[in-house]
Amino acid sequence: MENLPAIEVLSLHKAFGENRAVQGVSFKVGQGEIFSLLGPNGAGKTTTISMLSCLLRPDDGDARIMGHSIRSDGNGVKSALGVVPQDIALYEDLTAHENLSFWGKMYGLRGSELKKRVDEVLDIIGLRERANERVGKYSGGMKRRVNIGVALLHKPKVIYMDEPTVGIDPQSRRNILDSVVALKDQGMTVLYTTHYMEEAQELSDQIGIMDHGQMIASGTHDELVKLVGGQTRIDLTVNAEPQRILGAWQSVEGVEQASVEDEKISLLVADSNQVLPHLFEAATRQAVRITSVDIREPNLEAVFLHLTGRALRD
Amino acid sequence: MIRILDITFKDLLQLMRDFKTFMFLLLMPILFTFLFGYAFGGFGGNSDSRLPVGYLSQDNHWVTDSLHDLLSESDLISLRENVFLSPADLEQQVANGDLAAAIIVPHGYGRDVLKNRTDLRLIVIADTNSTAWTSVEAELLRITSRLDGAVRTATIIERIDSERMPFHYAFEKTLDAWNDPPIAVTETKSPAVAKVSDSGAALAHTAPGMMLQFAIAGLLTAAQIIVTERKTRTLQRLLTTSTRRIDVALGHFLAIFLLLFTQFTILIVFSQVILKVDYFRVPEATALVAVSAALCISALGLLIGFAAQSEEQAITFSLIPMFVFAGLGGAWVPLEVTGATFRAVGHVSPVAWGMDGFENIVARGLGFESVLLPSAALLGYALLFFSLAVWRLYASEEK
Ligand SMILES: Nc1ncnc2c1ncn2[C@@H]1O[C@H](COP(=O)(O)OP(=O)(O)OP(=O)(O)O)[C@@H](O)[C@H]1O
Ligand SMILES: [Mg+2]
Repeated sequence: MENLPAIEVLSLHKAFGENRAVQGVSFKVGQGEIFSLLGPNGAGKTTTISMLSCLLRPDDGDARIMGHSIRSDGNGVKSALGVVPQDIALYEDLTAHENLSFWGKMYGLRGSELKKRVDEVLDIIGLRERANERVGKYSGGMKRRVNIGVALLHKPKVIYMDEPTVGIDPQSRRNILDSVVALKDQGMTVLYTTHYMEEAQELSDQIGIMDHGQMIASGTHDELVKLVGGQTRIDLTVNAEPQRILGAWQSVEGVEQASVEDEKISLLVADSNQVLPHLFEAATRQAVRITSVDIREPNLEAVFLHLTGRALRD
Repeated sequence: MIRILDITFKDLLQLMRDFKTFMFLLLMPILFTFLFGYAFGGFGGNSDSRLPVGYLSQDNHWVTDSLHDLLSESDLISLRENVFLSPADLEQQVANGDLAAAIIVPHGYGRDVLKNRTDLRLIVIADTNSTAWTSVEAELLRITSRLDGAVRTATIIERIDSERMPFHYAFEKTLDAWNDPPIAVTETKSPAVAKVSDSGAALAHTAPGMMLQFAIAGLLTAAQIIVTERKTRTLQRLLTTSTRRIDVALGHFLAIFLLLFTQFTILIVFSQVILKVDYFRVPEATALVAVSAALCISALGLLIGFAAQSEEQAITFSLIPMFVFAGLGGAWVPLEVTGATFRAVGHVSPVAWGMDGFENIVARGLGFESVLLPSAALLGYALLFFSLAVWRLYASEEK
């Protein structure tokens, strides 16, 4: 039981007619880990999650959730699972309390246990005071929190969260990210999808990058960043023709690549702390003023760009 | 198992949250039944609003007896017979307005009709300027020409095949054929018929019709809950819990059933107590038809809920049964008056069976056995609709 991966995905395929939404996705999530699926719109994240929660039948491939096959043991899968859908799936004409009670019952909770869990979850999502208002009257962020709360009621071993922070205010977002970490601390396994690379970076033990239905890379944040060579990008603008300074900067030690696009000079460097002073010196010598500096540490955005030639977000 | 009830309870809670709709579903039918009942001329229950027509026969012939039978079956006129009254007395009563008209059948009338002679005619006393007379005249013309037609046809048949078809038998047959005319729609279209038809009979028809009509409105509301459930993805979420699909279907089904059954109960009690439509005459029969009809319409609601992709579609899907089933099924116009073909086609509609069931109790005065067939048909439809709904839910593979 100890070594059993919480989620083990084996070459899942799903097509909607001609549209091959998921094409051979495989990954493994250890118990108590947070795994993020990062990918742009239409990458196939939700389709993957739907298959993993037995809502969609895969065309090919299989997956095991806590050892239960999604093909042959749907009930086993469902009882191990809490799902936070991408769309807010709540009864708007019922109150938060009524929603939680109802969903608790659907997860098989009863009586005093149900009551206790509903109260606990209301505390976790920070909505105890407003529990008796209709969900339809809540703000987007509050709805999102209830949407998550529902999936926590029966203390599942594995929880899927499909873009739980889309379209909400920073405060609610913070609350949600913190609660995801809290879940991990309690030993839950979290499969998290997002197209915000900052979230994936902050939360995850492992990250899988998806595009066009395929897993194009996966690993820890550091492993993924190494794929782009671990270089930092520095974008600069100057008050003169970029060409006047470009040559000097290219010969600064530590600058590995330089290019000009529009009026902007982009340098790829190994260590920005070491290179930057030399850049200023060179500029002074040429009587050129640097008007802006933008330092970009290697990140998942760059990894995605590197792997697909496109930006993660348009 | 208990999750079925949880879902039912949740649905009912949602329905009640929408207070206006909820009230609409329960109060509108009452209001409408009341208004329609009123339009059909008060709530006498047993009162007879046919036009009173005096009748005095001086003839003693079997053709005259047939005429008498036809007249007394009329929906328009109600025969008032009193052997002690003279033609002069009748004339007096017509003049007073106690009678809309009076018919005197002269001696030898039957024989003359048979011989196809027209020297002896019915004597009719009436105020020919009154509006009532127009109706009575039309009805008399209809009946006498029917009698005349039967005699002539029988004569012809007898001439053709006198051995096997004695005149009497042919006459009876032909008259019977009139009872079940291939197309009788012309009669029902006449506004005069509706205006002066028996209020008791009209209500006995209107009340169940309204009830089934509004059940379909209730079905729509309940189906909307399911459609919304799909649209808000709560249905999909339900399917990610360990709750079984069949329980989801049964939970919703039970909720719609309870809503419709409550509607029925309220309307039945209301019709009985206020409108004097006699549902309680055979209470167990009424209960059986009400339960079967509610089950059937609920199953239809469930099917619409699971089949419709949007609220608009649900409305369209519900309008179909509303118009086709209710119209075809005779919730608007009694199937009796629409002719045999239409009646047969109408019974494709479960509403026709529902109407049959209720009308057998309140309008035709039949017993418990008379509702067994309609109830069985309704339950058959319920099973069909429910199976389709469940199949639809299991087949739906949603993102
Ligand atoms: N039920 C469906 N029927 C047809 N096509 C679908 C269905 N669900 C998804 N698709 C298609 O499959 C592809 C993957 O969609 P999916 O929702 O899995 O992407 P995603 O990564 O979750 O995107 P997003 O970030 O926008 O949520 C898309 O091209 C989408 O149009
Ligand atoms: Mg998605």
